[in-house]
Amino acid sequence: MVDISNLTLKEAHEGLKNKSFTALELIEESFKVAANSESVLHAHLLLMQDEAVADAKETDKRISKGKMLGELDGIPISIKDNMNLKGYGTTCSSKILANYVSPYDATVISKLKEKGTVFIGKTNLDEFAMGSSTENSAYGPSKNPWDPDCVPGGSSGGSAAAVSVGTALGSLGSDTGGSIRQPASFCGVVGFKPTYGTVSRYGLIAFASSLDQIGPFAKTAEDTKIIYEAISGYDTRDSTSIKLNQRELPEGQSAKVGVLKELMGEGIADDVKSEVEKVIKLLEKEGHEITEVSLPMTKMAISIYYLIAPAECSANLARFDGVRYGLRVDGKTSYEMTEKTRAEGFGDEVKRRILLGTYALSAGYYDAYYGQALKARNQVINEFKNVFKKVDYLISPTTPSTAFKFGEKTSNPLEMYMSDLCTIPANLAGIPAISIPTGLDKQGMPYSVQLMSPELTDISLLNFSSYVEKLVDFQDTPTKWRKDP
Amino acid sequence: MPKDFDIQAIAKLALIELNSEEESKLSEDLGIILEHVDALSTLSIDDSDMTIHPLGIELELREDTVQDGLDHKESMRNAPDEKDGFFQVPPSMD
Repeated sequence: MVDISNLTLKEAHEGLKNKSFTALELIEESFKVAANSESVLHAHLLLMQDEAVADAKETDKRISKGKMLGELDGIPISIKDNMNLKGYGTTCSSKILANYVSPYDATVISKLKEKGTVFIGKTNLDEFAMGSSTENSAYGPSKNPWDPDCVPGGSSGGSAAAVSVGTALGSLGSDTGGSIRQPASFCGVVGFKPTYGTVSRYGLIAFASSLDQIGPFAKTAEDTKIIYEAISGYDTRDSTSIKLNQRELPEGQSAKVGVLKELMGEGIADDVKSEVEKVIKLLEKEGHEITEVSLPMTKMAISIYYLIAPAECSANLARFDGVRYGLRVDGKTSYEMTEKTRAEGFGDEVKRRILLGTYALSAGYYDAYYGQALKARNQVINEFKNVFKKVDYLISPTTPSTAFKFGEKTSNPLEMYMSDLCTIPANLAGIPAISIPTGLDKQGMPYSVQLMSPELTDISLLNFSSYVEKLVDFQDTPTKWRKDP
Repeated sequence: MPKDFDIQAIAKLALIELNSEEESKLSEDLGIILEHVDALSTLSIDDSDMTIHPLGIELELREDTVQDGLDHKESMRNAPDEKDGFFQVPPSMD
Protein backbone atom coordinates (compact mmCIF):
# COMPACT_ATOMS: atom_id res chain seq x y z
CA MET A 1 0.00 0.00 0.00
CA VAL A 2 1.21 3.54 -0.74
CA ASP A 3 1.67 5.85 2.27
CA ILE A 4 0.85 9.14 0.58
CA SER A 5 1.37 11.14 3.79
CA ASN A 6 5.08 10.33 3.72
CA LEU A 7 5.54 10.50 -0.02
CA THR A 8 7.00 13.49 -1.86
CA LEU A 9 5.68 14.48 -5.28
CA LYS A 10 8.97 13.42 -6.84
CA GLU A 11 8.81 10.01 -5.11
CA ALA A 12 5.21 9.57 -6.24
CA HIS A 13 6.27 10.27 -9.81
CA GLU A 14 9.08 7.70 -9.56
CA GLY A 15 6.62 5.19 -8.07
CA LEU A 16 4.17 5.71 -10.94
CA LYS A 17 6.90 5.57 -13.56
CA ASN A 18 8.39 2.38 -12.12
CA LYS A 19 4.88 0.91 -11.72
CA SER A 20 5.37 0.40 -7.95
CA PHE A 21 1.76 1.58 -7.68
CA THR A 22 -0.88 2.90 -10.06
CA ALA A 23 -2.26 6.43 -10.30
CA LEU A 24 -5.62 5.03 -9.20
CA GLU A 25 -4.06 3.54 -6.04
CA LEU A 26 -2.38 6.87 -5.33
CA ILE A 27 -5.63 8.80 -5.69
CA GLU A 28 -7.51 6.28 -3.56
CA GLU A 29 -4.93 6.84 -0.81
CA SER A 30 -5.40 10.56 -1.19
CA PHE A 31 -9.15 10.27 -0.60
CA LYS A 32 -8.57 7.85 2.29
CA VAL A 33 -6.59 10.60 4.03
CA ALA A 34 -9.39 13.03 3.17
CA ALA A 35 -11.96 10.66 4.70
CA ASN A 36 -9.86 10.45 7.88
CA SER A 37 -9.23 14.15 8.24
CA GLU A 38 -11.70 16.43 6.45
CA SER A 39 -14.45 16.33 9.08
CA VAL A 40 -11.97 17.87 11.53
CA LEU A 41 -9.54 19.82 9.36
CA HIS A 42 -11.92 21.17 6.69
CA ALA A 43 -9.05 21.80 4.30
CA HIS A 44 -11.30 21.53 1.24
CA LEU A 45 -14.52 23.30 0.29
CA LEU A 46 -15.00 20.83 -2.54
CA LEU A 47 -13.64 17.31 -3.07
CA MET A 48 -13.82 15.89 -6.60
CA GLN A 49 -13.41 12.16 -6.06
CA ASP A 50 -15.29 10.85 -9.12
CA GLU A 51 -13.46 13.18 -11.49
CA ALA A 52 -10.10 12.45 -9.82
CA VAL A 53 -10.63 8.69 -10.14
CA ALA A 54 -11.49 9.11 -13.85
CA ASP A 55 -8.39 11.29 -14.40
CA ALA A 56 -6.18 8.79 -12.56
CA LYS A 57 -7.44 5.99 -14.83
CA GLU A 58 -6.44 8.12 -17.83
CA THR A 59 -2.94 8.49 -16.36
CA ASP A 60 -2.72 4.73 -15.87
CA LYS A 61 -3.68 4.20 -19.51
CA ARG A 62 -0.94 6.61 -20.62
CA ILE A 63 1.62 4.87 -18.39
CA SER A 64 0.69 1.45 -19.77
CA LYS A 65 1.26 2.82 -23.28
CA GLY A 66 4.59 4.42 -22.29
CA LYS A 67 3.17 7.91 -22.85
CA MET A 68 3.47 9.49 -19.42
CA LEU A 69 3.17 13.28 -19.68
CA GLY A 70 5.87 14.16 -17.17
CA GLU A 71 6.47 14.55 -13.48
CA LEU A 72 2.97 15.81 -12.68
CA ASP A 73 1.04 13.13 -14.55
CA GLY A 74 -1.28 11.39 -12.07
CA ILE A 75 -0.20 13.59 -9.15
CA PRO A 76 -3.01 14.66 -6.77
CA ILE A 77 -3.09 18.45 -6.52
CA SER A 78 -5.59 20.72 -4.80
CA ILE A 79 -6.44 24.27 -5.81
CA LYS A 80 -7.22 27.28 -3.65
CA ASP A 81 -10.84 28.19 -4.24
CA ASN A 82 -10.05 31.60 -5.72
CA MET A 83 -8.90 30.14 -9.04
CA ASN A 84 -11.30 29.28 -11.83
CA LEU A 85 -11.66 25.61 -12.74
CA LYS A 86 -14.18 25.36 -15.57
CA GLY A 87 -17.51 23.85 -14.63
CA TYR A 88 -16.96 24.06 -10.87
CA GLY A 89 -17.73 26.68 -8.25
CA THR A 90 -15.18 29.33 -7.30
CA THR A 91 -16.46 30.70 -4.00
CA CYS A 92 -13.42 32.62 -2.71
CA SER A 93 -14.91 31.43 0.62
CA SER A 94 -17.49 34.19 0.24
CA LYS A 95 -21.27 34.08 0.37
CA ILE A 96 -21.33 36.51 -2.55
CA LEU A 97 -19.98 33.77 -4.88
CA ALA A 98 -21.81 30.84 -3.26
CA ASN A 99 -23.49 29.74 -6.50
CA TYR A 100 -20.98 30.99 -9.06
CA VAL A 101 -19.84 28.43 -11.63
CA SER A 102 -16.53 29.10 -13.42
CA PRO A 103 -17.06 29.45 -17.17
CA TYR A 104 -13.33 29.10 -17.98
CA ASP A 105 -10.03 27.73 -16.68
CA ALA A 106 -7.38 29.91 -15.09
CA THR A 107 -4.09 29.76 -17.01
CA VAL A 108 -2.44 27.80 -14.19
CA ILE A 109 -5.25 25.24 -14.39
CA SER A 110 -4.89 24.88 -18.19
CA LYS A 111 -1.15 24.37 -17.77
CA LEU A 112 -1.61 21.69 -15.09
CA LYS A 113 -4.29 19.92 -17.15
CA GLU A 114 -1.80 19.67 -20.02
CA LYS A 115 0.58 17.89 -17.64
CA GLY A 116 -1.99 15.26 -16.61
CA THR A 117 -2.34 16.54 -13.03
CA VAL A 118 -5.24 15.08 -11.07
CA PHE A 119 -7.29 17.78 -9.33
CA ILE A 120 -8.65 16.43 -6.07
CA GLY A 121 -10.51 19.47 -4.84
CA LYS A 122 -10.70 23.16 -4.03
CA THR A 123 -9.32 24.42 -0.76
CA ASN A 124 -10.59 26.76 1.92
CA LEU A 125 -9.27 30.29 2.38
CA ASP A 126 -9.97 33.53 4.18
CA GLU A 127 -12.72 35.29 2.24
CA PHE A 128 -11.22 36.74 -0.97
CA ALA A 129 -7.77 35.81 0.42
CA MET A 130 -8.01 38.50 3.09
CA GLY A 131 -6.72 37.11 6.36
CA SER A 132 -4.03 35.06 8.05
CA SER A 133 -5.92 32.20 9.71
CA THR A 134 -8.90 31.07 7.53
CA GLU A 135 -11.11 32.40 10.32
CA ASN A 136 -12.56 34.80 7.72
CA SER A 137 -13.96 32.00 5.55
CA ALA A 138 -17.75 32.23 5.23
CA TYR A 139 -17.81 28.42 5.27
CA GLY A 140 -15.95 27.92 8.56
CA PRO A 141 -12.22 27.76 9.24
CA SER A 142 -9.72 25.04 8.38
CA LYS A 143 -7.73 23.50 11.24
CA ASN A 144 -4.02 22.90 11.63
CA PRO A 145 -3.15 19.18 11.11
CA TRP A 146 -0.45 19.40 13.84
CA ASP A 147 -2.99 20.65 16.40
CA PRO A 148 -6.61 21.34 15.40
CA ASP A 149 -6.88 23.94 18.18
CA CYS A 150 -4.45 26.07 16.18
CA VAL A 151 -5.06 27.96 12.94
CA PRO A 152 -3.47 26.63 9.75
CA GLY A 153 -2.54 30.19 8.77
CA GLY A 154 -3.96 32.05 5.84
CA SER A 155 -5.20 33.01 3.57
CA SER A 156 -4.27 29.75 1.76
CA GLY A 157 -4.75 27.72 4.96
CA GLY A 158 -6.70 24.92 3.29
CA SER A 159 -3.99 24.37 0.68
CA ALA A 160 -1.27 24.20 3.35
CA ALA A 161 -3.30 21.81 5.52
CA ALA A 162 -4.09 19.56 2.53
CA VAL A 163 -0.37 19.09 1.75
CA SER A 164 0.61 18.79 5.40
CA VAL A 165 -1.88 16.00 6.11
CA GLY A 166 -1.14 14.25 2.82
CA THR A 167 -4.44 14.58 0.95
CA ALA A 168 -2.56 16.37 -1.82
CA LEU A 169 1.06 16.07 -2.91
CA GLY A 170 1.00 19.66 -4.06
CA SER A 171 -1.36 22.57 -3.93
CA LEU A 172 -1.77 25.99 -5.47
CA GLY A 173 -2.21 29.07 -3.34
CA SER A 174 -2.03 32.81 -3.88
CA ASP A 175 0.22 35.17 -1.95
CA THR A 176 -0.57 38.88 -1.65
CA GLY A 177 1.15 39.59 1.68
CA GLY A 178 2.25 36.13 2.79
CA SER A 179 -0.80 34.00 2.07
CA ILE A 180 1.32 31.08 0.83
CA ARG A 181 4.38 31.34 3.08
CA GLN A 182 2.64 32.02 6.40
CA PRO A 183 0.28 28.97 6.23
CA ALA A 184 3.16 26.85 4.87
CA SER A 185 5.12 27.84 7.96
CA PHE A 186 2.24 27.10 10.35
CA CYS A 187 1.55 23.69 8.74
CA GLY A 188 5.17 22.57 8.33
CA VAL A 189 5.28 22.42 4.52
CA VAL A 190 7.14 24.34 1.82
CA GLY A 191 5.38 27.37 0.32
CA PHE A 192 6.81 29.45 -2.51
CA LYS A 193 5.85 32.93 -3.71
CA PRO A 194 7.43 33.44 -7.14
CA THR A 195 8.70 36.67 -8.69
CA TYR A 196 5.71 38.89 -9.47
CA GLY A 197 4.65 38.40 -13.09
CA THR A 198 6.25 35.00 -13.67
CA VAL A 199 2.99 33.10 -13.08
CA SER A 200 -0.12 34.31 -14.90
CA ARG A 201 -2.90 35.67 -12.71
CA TYR A 202 -5.53 35.10 -15.43
CA GLY A 203 -8.41 33.28 -13.76
CA LEU A 204 -7.30 34.13 -10.22
CA ILE A 205 -10.01 36.25 -8.60
CA ALA A 206 -8.13 39.50 -8.05
CA PHE A 207 -7.59 40.92 -4.58
CA ALA A 208 -4.66 43.37 -4.91
CA SER A 209 -3.38 43.13 -8.46
CA SER A 210 0.07 44.67 -7.98
CA LEU A 211 0.81 42.21 -5.16
CA ASP A 212 -1.11 38.97 -5.92
CA GLN A 213 0.95 36.03 -7.12
CA ILE A 214 0.02 32.36 -7.53
CA GLY A 215 2.50 29.81 -6.20
CA PRO A 216 2.88 26.21 -5.05
CA PHE A 217 2.85 24.29 -1.77
CA ALA A 218 4.55 20.90 -1.45
CA LYS A 219 6.55 18.83 1.01
CA THR A 220 9.94 19.82 -0.46
CA ALA A 221 11.51 22.70 -2.37
CA GLU A 222 12.23 20.29 -5.23
CA ASP A 223 8.51 19.48 -5.47
CA THR A 224 7.54 23.17 -5.45
CA LYS A 225 10.04 23.69 -8.26
CA ILE A 226 8.35 21.00 -10.35
CA ILE A 227 4.99 22.75 -9.92
CA TYR A 228 6.46 26.23 -10.43
CA GLU A 229 8.09 25.19 -13.70
CA ALA A 230 4.76 23.80 -14.89
CA ILE A 231 2.66 26.88 -14.07
CA SER A 232 5.04 29.74 -14.90
CA GLY A 233 5.47 31.50 -18.24
CA TYR A 234 4.36 34.56 -20.16
CA ASP A 235 0.64 34.91 -20.78
CA THR A 236 -0.95 37.49 -23.07
CA ARG A 237 -4.11 37.31 -20.94
CA ASP A 238 -2.34 38.90 -17.95
CA SER A 239 -0.92 42.34 -18.75
CA THR A 240 1.45 42.15 -15.76
CA SER A 241 2.93 38.86 -17.00
CA ILE A 242 6.63 39.13 -17.85
CA LYS A 243 8.86 37.62 -20.54
CA LEU A 244 12.21 38.14 -18.83
CA ASN A 245 14.49 35.14 -18.37
CA GLN A 246 15.73 33.76 -15.09
CA ARG A 247 19.15 34.76 -13.75
CA GLU A 248 21.42 32.33 -11.93
CA LEU A 249 22.88 32.80 -8.46
CA PRO A 250 25.42 30.63 -6.61
CA GLU A 251 23.39 27.71 -5.22
CA GLY A 252 25.87 25.84 -3.04
CA GLN A 253 28.61 26.69 -0.57
CA SER A 254 29.72 29.87 -2.33
CA ALA A 255 26.33 31.53 -1.80
CA LYS A 256 26.43 34.67 0.33
CA VAL A 257 23.59 34.97 2.82
CA GLY A 258 22.29 38.12 4.50
CA VAL A 259 20.47 38.09 7.83
CA LEU A 260 17.72 40.68 7.79
CA LYS A 261 18.31 42.68 10.97
CA GLU A 262 14.86 44.28 11.18
CA LEU A 263 13.15 40.87 11.10
CA MET A 264 15.30 39.45 13.90
CA GLY A 265 14.31 42.02 16.51
CA GLU A 266 11.18 43.51 18.02
CA GLY A 267 7.92 41.69 17.37
CA ILE A 268 9.54 38.28 16.72
CA ALA A 269 9.26 35.54 19.37
CA ASP A 270 12.59 34.53 20.95
CA ASP A 271 12.21 30.85 20.11
CA VAL A 272 11.54 31.73 16.44
CA LYS A 273 14.71 33.84 16.35
CA SER A 274 16.70 30.99 17.93
CA GLU A 275 15.43 28.61 15.26
CA VAL A 276 16.59 30.95 12.47
CA GLU A 277 19.95 31.30 14.23
CA LYS A 278 20.21 27.50 14.29
CA VAL A 279 19.90 27.44 10.49
CA ILE A 280 22.38 30.32 10.15
CA LYS A 281 24.91 28.31 12.20
CA LEU A 282 24.43 25.33 9.88
CA LEU A 283 25.20 27.59 6.93
CA GLU A 284 28.24 29.06 8.68
CA LYS A 285 29.51 25.55 9.36
CA GLU A 286 29.35 24.88 5.62
CA GLY A 287 31.57 27.90 5.04
CA HIS A 288 28.98 30.40 3.81
CA GLU A 289 29.68 34.10 4.16
CA ILE A 290 26.95 35.39 6.48
CA THR A 291 26.36 39.14 6.78
CA GLU A 292 23.87 41.10 8.83
CA VAL A 293 22.03 43.50 6.54
CA SER A 294 19.58 46.29 7.24
CA LEU A 295 16.47 47.31 5.32
CA PRO A 296 15.04 50.12 7.48
CA MET A 297 11.94 50.49 5.31
CA THR A 298 10.73 46.99 6.21
CA LYS A 299 9.49 48.60 9.44
CA MET A 300 7.04 50.52 7.28
CA ALA A 301 5.96 47.45 5.29
CA ILE A 302 2.69 46.80 7.17
CA SER A 303 1.66 50.45 6.80
CA ILE A 304 2.47 50.49 3.09
CA TYR A 305 0.69 47.20 2.51
CA TYR A 306 -2.46 48.18 4.40
CA LEU A 307 -2.90 51.18 2.13
CA ILE A 308 -2.00 49.62 -1.23
CA ALA A 309 -3.79 46.27 -0.77
CA PRO A 310 -7.12 47.72 0.45
CA ALA A 311 -6.99 50.43 -2.24
CA GLU A 312 -6.59 47.83 -4.98
CA CYS A 313 -9.13 45.52 -3.31
CA SER A 314 -11.76 48.27 -3.19
CA ALA A 315 -11.38 48.70 -6.96
CA ASN A 316 -11.19 44.97 -7.78
CA LEU A 317 -14.18 43.99 -5.65
CA ALA A 318 -16.37 46.71 -7.17
CA ARG A 319 -17.29 44.07 -9.77
CA PHE A 320 -19.40 42.21 -7.19
CA ASP A 321 -22.48 44.32 -7.69
CA GLY A 322 -25.25 41.72 -8.03
CA VAL A 323 -25.69 42.43 -11.74
CA ARG A 324 -23.79 39.80 -13.75
CA TYR A 325 -22.92 36.99 -11.35
CA GLY A 326 -23.00 36.00 -7.72
CA LEU A 327 -25.47 36.88 -5.01
CA ARG A 328 -28.23 39.41 -5.60
CA VAL A 329 -30.36 40.91 -2.84
CA ASP A 330 -33.36 42.80 -4.19
CA GLY A 331 -33.69 46.57 -3.85
CA LYS A 332 -36.00 49.24 -5.22
CA THR A 333 -33.23 50.76 -7.32
CA SER A 334 -30.10 49.24 -8.82
CA TYR A 335 -27.98 51.20 -6.29
CA GLU A 336 -30.01 49.88 -3.38
CA MET A 337 -29.74 46.37 -4.83
CA THR A 338 -25.95 46.66 -4.99
CA GLU A 339 -25.66 48.13 -1.49
CA LYS A 340 -27.81 45.36 0.00
CA THR A 341 -26.07 42.63 -2.03
CA ARG A 342 -22.63 43.72 -0.83
CA ALA A 343 -23.89 44.15 2.75
CA GLU A 344 -25.13 40.57 2.84
CA GLY A 345 -22.53 38.98 0.58
CA PHE A 346 -19.28 40.27 2.11
CA GLY A 347 -17.91 39.34 5.55
CA ASP A 348 -16.48 41.75 8.13
CA GLU A 349 -12.83 41.71 7.02
CA VAL A 350 -13.69 42.24 3.36
CA LYS A 351 -15.94 45.17 4.26
CA ARG A 352 -13.21 46.61 6.47
CA ARG A 353 -10.65 46.49 3.66
CA ILE A 354 -13.00 47.81 0.98
CA LEU A 355 -13.93 50.76 3.21
CA LEU A 356 -10.29 51.43 4.10
CA GLY A 357 -9.33 51.32 0.42
CA THR A 358 -12.25 53.51 -0.61
CA TYR A 359 -11.18 56.07 1.97
CA ALA A 360 -7.51 55.95 0.92
CA LEU A 361 -8.51 56.57 -2.70
CA SER A 362 -11.15 59.24 -2.03
CA ALA A 363 -10.78 62.84 -3.15
CA GLY A 364 -8.52 64.81 -0.83
CA TYR A 365 -6.80 61.75 0.65
CA TYR A 366 -5.36 60.00 -2.42
CA ASP A 367 -1.95 61.72 -2.30
CA ALA A 368 -1.58 61.51 1.47
CA TYR A 369 -2.42 57.83 1.71
CA TYR A 370 -2.25 55.85 -1.55
CA GLY A 371 0.27 58.14 -3.28
CA GLN A 372 2.57 58.19 -0.25
CA ALA A 373 2.33 54.37 0.03
CA LEU A 374 3.34 53.94 -3.63
CA LYS A 375 6.38 56.18 -3.09
CA ALA A 376 7.32 54.32 0.08
CA ARG A 377 7.00 51.03 -1.82
CA ASN A 378 9.55 52.34 -4.28
CA GLN A 379 11.93 52.97 -1.36
CA VAL A 380 11.46 49.37 -0.19
CA ILE A 381 12.33 48.09 -3.67
CA ASN A 382 15.47 50.27 -3.80
CA GLU A 383 16.61 49.02 -0.39
CA PHE A 384 16.26 45.39 -1.52
CA LYS A 385 18.22 46.17 -4.73
CA ASN A 386 21.08 47.66 -2.71
CA VAL A 387 21.19 44.76 -0.28
CA PHE A 388 21.26 42.23 -3.11
CA LYS A 389 24.44 43.88 -4.41
CA LYS A 390 26.13 42.48 -1.29
CA VAL A 391 24.42 39.12 -0.73
CA ASP A 392 22.75 36.44 -2.88
CA TYR A 393 19.99 35.38 -0.49
CA LEU A 394 18.28 36.78 2.59
CA ILE A 395 17.22 34.70 5.56
CA SER A 396 14.58 35.63 8.13
CA PRO A 397 11.75 34.07 10.10
CA THR A 398 8.62 33.46 7.96
CA THR A 399 6.31 34.37 10.83
CA PRO A 400 6.72 36.22 14.14
CA SER A 401 5.50 33.12 16.04
CA THR A 402 4.47 29.53 15.41
CA ALA A 403 0.76 28.81 14.74
CA PHE A 404 -1.58 30.60 17.14
CA LYS A 405 -4.90 29.41 18.58
CA PHE A 406 -8.32 30.19 17.13
CA GLY A 407 -9.73 33.49 18.34
CA GLU A 408 -6.37 34.69 19.62
CA LYS A 409 -6.03 37.56 17.15
CA THR A 410 -9.58 38.33 16.07
CA SER A 411 -10.46 41.21 18.43
CA ASN A 412 -8.02 43.77 16.99
CA PRO A 413 -7.43 43.72 13.21
CA LEU A 414 -3.92 45.10 13.60
CA GLU A 415 -2.83 42.11 15.69
CA MET A 416 -3.79 39.76 12.86
CA TYR A 417 -2.09 42.03 10.30
CA MET A 418 1.16 41.82 12.29
CA SER A 419 1.39 38.08 11.62
CA ASP A 420 2.43 39.03 8.06
CA LEU A 421 5.27 41.25 9.28
CA CYS A 422 8.02 39.08 7.77
CA THR A 423 6.30 38.13 4.52
CA ILE A 424 4.90 41.45 3.24
CA PRO A 425 8.27 43.01 2.22
CA ALA A 426 8.80 40.41 -0.55
CA ASN A 427 5.36 41.19 -2.01
CA LEU A 428 6.08 44.91 -2.01
CA ALA A 429 9.39 44.30 -3.80
CA GLY A 430 7.99 41.65 -6.18
CA ILE A 431 10.86 39.29 -5.33
CA PRO A 432 10.67 35.50 -4.87
CA ALA A 433 10.44 34.15 -1.32
CA ILE A 434 9.99 30.72 0.18
CA SER A 435 9.18 29.22 3.56
CA ILE A 436 10.80 25.91 4.47
CA PRO A 437 10.06 23.90 7.63
CA THR A 438 12.97 23.43 10.02
CA GLY A 439 11.70 21.80 13.22
CA LEU A 440 9.03 21.74 15.93
CA ASP A 441 8.53 23.95 18.98
CA LYS A 442 7.84 22.67 22.51
CA GLN A 443 4.14 22.33 21.71
CA GLY A 444 4.94 20.31 18.61
CA MET A 445 4.10 23.11 16.15
CA PRO A 446 6.30 23.66 13.08
CA TYR A 447 9.11 26.21 12.84
CA SER A 448 10.35 27.54 9.52
CA VAL A 449 12.73 29.97 7.88
CA GLN A 450 12.08 32.31 4.99
CA LEU A 451 14.58 32.72 2.17
CA MET A 452 14.39 35.56 -0.34
CA SER A 453 16.39 36.37 -3.47
CA PRO A 454 16.45 39.05 -6.18
CA GLU A 455 13.72 39.24 -8.83
CA LEU A 456 13.85 36.51 -11.49
CA THR A 457 16.17 34.20 -9.56
CA ASP A 458 13.33 31.83 -8.63
CA ILE A 459 15.03 28.65 -9.82
CA SER A 460 18.26 29.45 -7.99
CA LEU A 461 16.26 30.21 -4.84
CA LEU A 462 14.44 26.87 -5.12
CA ASN A 463 17.72 25.00 -5.68
CA PHE A 464 19.37 26.79 -2.76
CA SER A 465 16.31 25.96 -0.61
CA SER A 466 16.75 22.26 -1.45
CA TYR A 467 20.34 22.58 -0.29
CA VAL A 468 19.25 24.27 2.99
CA GLU A 469 16.59 21.58 3.47
CA LYS A 470 19.27 18.91 3.34
CA LEU A 471 21.35 20.75 5.95
CA VAL A 472 18.32 21.13 8.25
CA ASP A 473 17.09 17.58 7.64
CA PHE A 474 13.54 18.02 8.97
CA GLN A 475 11.00 15.65 7.42
CA ASP A 476 8.31 15.17 10.07
CA THR A 477 4.66 15.14 9.07
CA PRO A 478 1.57 15.04 11.29
CA THR A 479 0.79 11.37 11.84
CA LYS A 480 -2.57 11.03 13.54
CA TRP A 481 -4.68 11.21 10.38
CA ARG A 482 -3.36 8.01 8.80
CA LYS A 483 -5.52 5.32 10.37
CA ASP A 484 -8.06 3.65 8.11
CA PRO A 485 -11.56 5.20 8.25
CA MET B 1 -8.46 59.20 12.90
CA PRO B 2 -8.85 62.28 10.67
CA LYS B 3 -11.41 64.71 12.09
CA ASP B 4 -13.63 64.68 9.03
CA PHE B 5 -13.73 60.85 8.74
CA ASP B 6 -17.34 59.95 7.94
CA ILE B 7 -18.06 56.22 7.86
CA GLN B 8 -21.48 56.76 6.25
CA ALA B 9 -19.99 58.76 3.37
CA ILE B 10 -17.30 56.10 2.81
CA ALA B 11 -19.89 53.30 2.88
CA LYS B 12 -21.98 55.21 0.34
CA LEU B 13 -18.97 55.50 -1.98
CA ALA B 14 -18.18 51.80 -1.50
CA LEU B 15 -21.83 50.84 -2.12
CA ILE B 16 -22.10 48.79 1.08
CA GLU B 17 -25.09 49.22 3.37
CA LEU B 18 -23.97 49.22 7.03
CA ASN B 19 -26.11 48.85 10.13
CA SER B 20 -25.39 51.07 13.13
CA GLU B 21 -23.49 48.34 14.95
CA GLU B 22 -21.21 47.85 11.93
CA GLU B 23 -20.74 51.62 11.58
CA SER B 24 -19.51 51.86 15.11
CA LYS B 25 -17.24 48.76 14.98
CA LEU B 26 -15.79 49.60 11.57
CA SER B 27 -15.13 53.23 12.57
CA GLU B 28 -13.21 51.97 15.57
CA ASP B 29 -11.24 49.42 13.50
CA LEU B 30 -10.42 51.87 10.73
CA GLY B 31 -9.33 54.39 13.37
CA ILE B 32 -6.79 51.87 14.71
CA ILE B 33 -5.51 51.03 11.23
CA LEU B 34 -5.31 54.66 10.05
CA GLU B 35 -3.41 55.61 13.18
CA HIS B 36 -0.88 52.85 12.38
CA VAL B 37 -0.45 53.71 8.70
CA ASP B 38 -0.05 57.39 9.59
CA ALA B 39 3.61 56.50 10.24
CA LEU B 40 4.10 56.92 6.48
CA SER B 41 3.35 60.64 6.72
CA THR B 42 6.63 61.10 8.63
CA LEU B 43 8.72 59.90 5.66
CA SER B 44 10.45 62.50 3.45
CA ILE B 45 10.00 60.79 0.11
CA ASP B 46 8.34 63.50 -1.97
CA ASP B 47 10.76 63.04 -4.87
CA SER B 48 10.38 59.24 -5.00
CA ASP B 49 8.63 57.57 -7.94
CA MET B 50 5.28 55.86 -7.44
CA THR B 51 5.61 52.12 -8.00
CA ILE B 52 2.83 50.27 -9.79
CA HIS B 53 4.59 47.20 -11.27
CA PRO B 54 7.17 46.13 -8.69
CA LEU B 55 9.67 45.18 -11.41
CA GLY B 56 9.25 48.56 -13.07
CA ILE B 57 8.05 46.97 -16.29
CA GLU B 58 5.69 48.69 -18.74
CA LEU B 59 2.40 46.83 -18.88
CA GLU B 60 1.86 45.30 -22.29
CA LEU B 61 -1.49 45.06 -24.01
CA ARG B 62 -2.15 42.24 -26.46
CA GLU B 63 -2.80 42.92 -30.16
CA ASP B 64 -6.26 44.37 -30.75
CA THR B 65 -7.50 41.39 -32.72
CA VAL B 66 -10.59 39.27 -32.29
CA GLN B 67 -9.94 36.12 -30.27
CA ASP B 68 -12.09 33.33 -28.95
CA GLY B 69 -13.93 34.30 -25.77
CA LEU B 70 -16.99 33.23 -23.84
CA ASP B 71 -20.07 32.81 -25.99
CA HIS B 72 -23.25 34.63 -25.06
CA LYS B 73 -24.86 31.65 -23.36
CA GLU B 74 -21.80 31.02 -21.18
CA SER B 75 -21.54 34.72 -20.35
CA MET B 76 -25.12 34.75 -19.06
CA ARG B 77 -24.82 31.49 -17.15
CA ASN B 78 -24.24 33.12 -13.75
CA ALA B 79 -26.71 35.99 -14.25
CA PRO B 80 -28.94 36.51 -11.19
CA ASP B 81 -31.72 37.83 -13.47
CA GLU B 82 -31.98 37.78 -17.23
CA LYS B 83 -34.47 38.92 -19.86
CA ASP B 84 -34.22 38.46 -23.63
CA GLY B 85 -30.53 37.69 -23.35
CA PHE B 86 -29.75 40.81 -21.28
CA PHE B 87 -28.87 41.22 -17.59
CA GLN B 88 -31.98 42.56 -15.91
CA VAL B 89 -31.66 45.04 -13.01
CA PRO B 90 -34.07 47.29 -11.07
CA PRO B 91 -34.49 50.91 -12.33
CA SER B 92 -31.66 53.33 -11.55
CA MET B 93 -34.10 55.84 -10.02
CA ASP B 94 -37.02 55.33 -7.70
